Amino acid sequence: MLILSRKPGESIVIDGHIRVQVMRLEGDVVKLGIEAPATVPVHRQEVYEEIQRSNQQALTKQSSPLPKLAGAAKPPAAAAKKMNLSKP
Amino acid sequence: MTCAETIELETPPAPAGNPVRLPMGLLGFEQIKDYVLVVNPGEEPFAWLRVEDNSALAFVVVDPFVVLPEYKPDIPPADVEFLGLKNADDALLLGIVTVHGANHATMNLRGPVVINRHTHTGKQVIITNANQYSVQHPLPVADNVA
Repeated sequence: MLILSRKPGESIVIDGHIRVQVMRLEGDVVKLGIEAPATVPVHRQEVYEEIQRSNQQALTKQSSPLPKLAGAAKPPAAAAKKMNLSKP
Repeated sequence: MTCAETIELETPPAPAGNPVRLPMGLLGFEQIKDYVLVVNPGEEPFAWLRVEDNSALAFVVVDPFVVLPEYKPDIPPADVEFLGLKNADDALLLGIVTVHGANHATMNLRGPVVINRHTHTGKQVIITNANQYSVQHPLPVADNVA
């Protein structure tokens, strides 16, 4: 792992188009500003790990029993339209 | 393709299911890329995203909008581009379900699987507004299954 020392206000540049700036220090919290093209996803690592764990827990055998949903499942009227597709 | 048929891909559902390719796999299962989406009569709204091999390994999936009509995921631009989605109707969304027990099941609303209905290519997407939703959103499971 590359380790760099930076002061608040200073930045690093990754691959010429992603800039990570140390905004300020608040106690033991470092505020980072990230400038990246819209096509570069940026997430907190915990979200990745949480979804990984959830997937591992969800893996099952196709023969396993399914729960019954309470009440009649409603048809998803116009469901797909509720999703926001961010245009690149 | 109407919205009411969100669980179906463009091709009619075959008994053997529809092939789905996830070029990046699922998070934690990056090496598994080929799946079959199987909808069994009587099991709806649930479906199976079965690993395309002989292991019988599968994920239970559900159309998240059936359970949570107000679900409003923001799909990041990189993923829209990767999947070749032109509009929302091109996409089939699946929430991965964890069955914790007979009376407890949850679905992942932070990382839905988004599939292009026309190409059958999909990706597990971390939605931009993930902080508004839970990775273990409880499903309204019936108390008693006779």
